[in-house]
Amino acid sequence: MHRYIIRFSKLGYIKYISHLDLMRLFKRTFKRMGIKLEYSQGYNPHPKMGLAQPLSLGYESSGEILEFETVNNINDENIIKTFNMAMPEGIKIIEFKEIKAEGKSLAAITEFAEYRIKLPFKDTMNQGIEVMNFINQSEIISQKLNKKKELIDLDIKSMIKELAINKKEDELIIFAKLDAGSVSNLSPELLIKAIGDYYQIEYDRSEVEITREAITFTKKLQF
Amino acid sequence: MNIDSNLNKLLKIVEKPARYIGGEFNSVKKNLEKVKTRFGFAFPDTYEIGMSFLGLQILYGVLNREDDIYCERIFAPALDMEAEMRKSGLPLFTLESKTPIKDLDIVGFTLQYEMSYTNILNMLDLGGIPLTKQERGEDYPIIVAGGPCAFNPEPLADIFDIVVIGDGEELIVTLCKKHAEWKKSGKNKEELYKELCHIEGIYIPSFYEPEYNPDGTIKNIKKLYKEAPDSIKKAIISNIDDAFFPENAIVPFIEVIHDRSVVETFRGCTRGCRFCQAGMIYRPVRERSKETIETLAKKMLENSGHEELSLLSLSTSDYSQFEELATSLMKMCKEHNVSLSLPSLRLDSFSFKVLQEIQGYKKSGLTFAPEAGSQRLRNVVNKNITEENIYSSIEQALELGWSNLKLYFMVGLPTETLDDLDGIVEIAKNVVDLNYKINGRKGGRFNVTISVSSFVPKAHTPFQWHGQDTAKEFRKKHMHLKDKFKSIRGVTFAYHRTDTTILEAVFARGDRNVTKPLIEAFKLGCSFDGWSEHFNNDLWLKAFEMTGTDVNFYASRERNYDEILPWDHIDSGVLKEFLIKENEKAKVETLTDDCRLGCVDCGVSKRVKCEMGGSHA
Ligand code: SF4
Repeated sequence: MHRYIIRFSKLGYIKYISHLDLMRLFKRTFKRMGIKLEYSQGYNPHPKMGLAQPLSLGYESSGEILEFETVNNINDENIIKTFNMAMPEGIKIIEFKEIKAEGKSLAAITEFAEYRIKLPFKDTMNQGIEVMNFINQSEIISQKLNKKKELIDLDIKSMIKELAINKKEDELIIFAKLDAGSVSNLSPELLIKAIGDYYQIEYDRSEVEITREAITFTKKLQF
Repeated sequence: MNIDSNLNKLLKIVEKPARYIGGEFNSVKKNLEKVKTRFGFAFPDTYEIGMSFLGLQILYGVLNREDDIYCERIFAPALDMEAEMRKSGLPLFTLESKTPIKDLDIVGFTLQYEMSYTNILNMLDLGGIPLTKQERGEDYPIIVAGGPCAFNPEPLADIFDIVVIGDGEELIVTLCKKHAEWKKSGKNKEELYKELCHIEGIYIPSFYEPEYNPDGTIKNIKKLYKEAPDSIKKAIISNIDDAFFPENAIVPFIEVIHDRSVVETFRGCTRGCRFCQAGMIYRPVRERSKETIETLAKKMLENSGHEELSLLSLSTSDYSQFEELATSLMKMCKEHNVSLSLPSLRLDSFSFKVLQEIQGYKKSGLTFAPEAGSQRLRNVVNKNITEENIYSSIEQALELGWSNLKLYFMVGLPTETLDDLDGIVEIAKNVVDLNYKINGRKGGRFNVTISVSSFVPKAHTPFQWHGQDTAKEFRKKHMHLKDKFKSIRGVTFAYHRTDTTILEAVFARGDRNVTKPLIEAFKLGCSFDGWSEHFNNDLWLKAFEMTGTDVNFYASRERNYDEILPWDHIDSGVLKEFLIKENEKAKVETLTDDCRLGCVDCGVSKRVKCEMGGSHA
């Protein structure tokens, strides 16, 4: 049994395929490449393969991480090239690495995710935007739906590890490192909402572009 | 306008955006500067349905094999996407290069079912292309159609510039090559059509004009270009073993209806069911060799990574070496860890052995198609199975543990009476009793579905003259059955809605005068008529009323043999005399043998050798 991780980008139109579609795509790519995945035991066996964290539909990424286990050793010097030939346009393998077979799944040690967000807006009120004002708030309030489907206020400040906002003429470029994983997780959507509300800017969600740039872990992976 | 940025916005709003992005594995990108003819393959339904259609993969592959030709795909956007596109002014585009379809050279629609006709109009409209060829003139792409419904192209004759009749995979390449030459020459469209019309399988509707009698029937079909052929012979590929087959089929990102590798085993059918259009227009039977099928299956699986393999033909078990083929494919699938699915098996003992092995404990439903409830009516339609055949298969199925059975019947067949319908009920009862006999008084977990569809007489079949039941008659029959089934436990009774059946009949046998109500219906907002949740019968009735169209003239009127039928100049290879003979035999409840037992002279062997004719004599 061999365990590997690959880092890959998902750019362009392929950002519109869902997490499940992406998993199927990898499964079929492995099959085309003649790579046999290990399967879980039990009544409904599934291949041992998973993303550190699913990526929302419509987000691009320059740093997704997939781990998988294979029956045979697949590590050879051309493996990245072979992978990229078997991949459809938009998915590009950047790094490939064998890791220790034992140990927790990547999903379990995911700690942060880094996003770059482009938020176009019309400065209709011409109120001017002081970016530091937002960042320096003692609480950063956003809203989310609770289980009863009611909007509730939520302070997300503690879940923001790093934040930088760059104001351009008609857009904000936001860089954010946010909690990710099973312990604490913040969706960039909540941050966007908080920024929009704070500055009272008008924007159209369909014009917001989000790119995930990296995922980091509680333990150092040798990348 | 930049399609990409506009499209990007819409894709964030609509459902299943991956339907519109292209770029799937094995899809083709070409340098637009270097190709001479740009062809758009248009499927008039959603991506999920179109991508499950093997014909698309064949034509896509065969065209893109040519350096000079670029074939891209076009699908009908779902209603949410269409609304957004219209709102933002985004025209219909190809998936591959996101080119507006009006910038292509040729747009080719496949006609798989009549209920997709409004979608064709809608797609042209969304692409900014005028619907009729008169309005298009020399500008705009050339609009082409093919597929089974093209055997009666008349309802769409004013829409299409060129109609391709018969096997398309060689013809379409010829057409595109001729187009490339013509494009260079700078001549007008008419010149191209004049050249094309001499090629077998190519019909240029504008070279013909029907003249009508006062009663609305056709007086004669006038030729407007005297060199055009009197009748248009369908294109036939005599040897499909050598024909192109898409080893590198496109693998969709999203789940589509049939997400699997498919190999066509043979084309055509020898059984001669009298209601079946496919059984007539695809004659003669041409098989792929077992070796070719095996090689193709292996390559397709390797090139796609699919989890499932399936075979395609009109009747899987009729393949001449079916047992050997099934056995070897089962072995191969097992080795590749792929599941095998074999549709429309004739349920004999060999099939059960196969099904046992490929389905194992996960038994899916089993289907039977007796088509009619009495032996008399089965003789009328030439469905050559007996009650004994049905019961012994069902008995075996029950013994082997299948508990979900589905039986298909048709309502509205010629000469049908209530007694024949009661036969359906009788069969259902007997199946339930068989289950008690085999699985004990409690019967176990068991369900039998009786599914009845409504008969639509089709062009080029022995029943092409038949007057379809009216909506009222259909309803009466459905109610009769529904009533009888109420008291039978363990039976689910399902039937199709009647209004679409009538519409289908109008367009299956319509002439050029049904184009008007079709366009009117589209303008009133009809689209996706094949989807019951979108179908709006009131709008259709309005369209017929506004255009003064008599639905009964097309649907329920019995024609006589002397009448010139709108599709008479389209030659399927099967002789009209044969169809008449078959219709007469139907009236006296006489069977015609499967022509593997001996040629029954349908006429197609005058065009091409029938390998299977008399093969089992
Ligand atoms: S010509 Fe004869 S053998 Fe050939 S398809 Fe027709 S009936 Fe069958």
